[in-house]
Amino acid sequence: MKSGDWVVTALRALAEHDRAREAPEEVETHLLAAFRQNRSKTRTRRKARTVGLATLAVAAGIMLFFAGLHPPLKQAAPTPVRPQPVEVAAAPEPMPIPEPKATPKPRPRKRQPREIVTQFFPLLDVAPPFERGELLRVTVPASTMRSVGLPVNEERLGDRVYADVLVGEEGLARAIRFVSYE
Amino acid sequence: MIVTDAALLEQALTGAEDAFTALYRRRQGSVYRFALQMTGSTAIAEDVTQEAFLALLLHGTRYDEARGTVASFLYGIARNLVMRRLDRRPDAELEYVDEIAGPEDVLEDLTRRESIEHVRQAVLSLPPVFREVIVLCDLQDSSYDEAAAVLDCPVGTVRSRLSRGRAMLAKKLRGVAVV
Repeated sequence: MKSGDWVVTALRALAEHDRAREAPEEVETHLLAAFRQNRSKTRTRRKARTVGLATLAVAAGIMLFFAGLHPPLKQAAPTPVRPQPVEVAAAPEPMPIPEPKATPKPRPRKRQPREIVTQFFPLLDVAPPFERGELLRVTVPASTMRSVGLPVNEERLGDRVYADVLVGEEGLARAIRFVSYE
Repeated sequence: MIVTDAALLEQALTGAEDAFTALYRRRQGSVYRFALQMTGSTAIAEDVTQEAFLALLLHGTRYDEARGTVASFLYGIARNLVMRRLDRRPDAELEYVDEIAGPEDVLEDLTRRESIEHVRQAVLSLPPVFREVIVLCDLQDSSYDEAAAVLDCPVGTVRSRLSRGRAMLAKKLRGVAVV
């Protein structure tokens, strides 16, 4: 018999001797306990993830909803114009351009006529950096439109028109745009 | 129909306790014996078995069927755990070398428990790189390909280490037999 053969035979005898050896039952018990614990943790993590995603989705929905209520701010035109005083309407009798068919009374969004807005016209020659502000819906004399270079009939210069005034947080009226309804 | 190890692992990772239990019962013996034959310690073998299956539970998603069987993957985990323990007790592999003594003809007495233990001690006295090949190929009946996957080395390396390991064993056991 070759030397390698009897070594293999000896090893086979050892393998055969060990064949029935197994880990004791406690190992399985510990492992199953760990398995259940891990599964429980995984489920908790999944649940937390689902709740988190749902919360994010609701938050995003709310943000989109409110974003949809306000018209997007457009970039102000670079043409400088002389500032005009802006008069906030107390109890306006507006005269839209062209004439709006519906009154501006708030209604559900679907029933409102579609707004048409002009670009923003700056009201300050040199304005401090803009960080935050508010957009105010006001009525102004139609002559204000002429002051920023928009054409207005002579007969209607005294009529009132809707406008959005961008007011910075420091209180300065920075830009204006005009609104009509389709 | 026999469910494959890979299918059991997949189910176990989704939380199926039955699948995990089935996979454990199918493979724990070979993992335990591998660790026992590599270290000679039942306590370490138990720890390694438990830790290997825990690791499978936690990192089983890393298993890639294209790279080998679940058994090879488990052996790979167990091997890393065993090597870590052998590193902690570097003298352990030599502690039995001089203790090999016994019957004049090992083959004649292999049936006797004492002789079996002499062979075990001879295996344990091998350097780990040769020992693990002997354990996998000769004691665990792994193919050369499987052993190569576990050891992350070419098949040719497995063959040469196996050949050298057997030669070293022959020398150790022959010396015992001659004396």
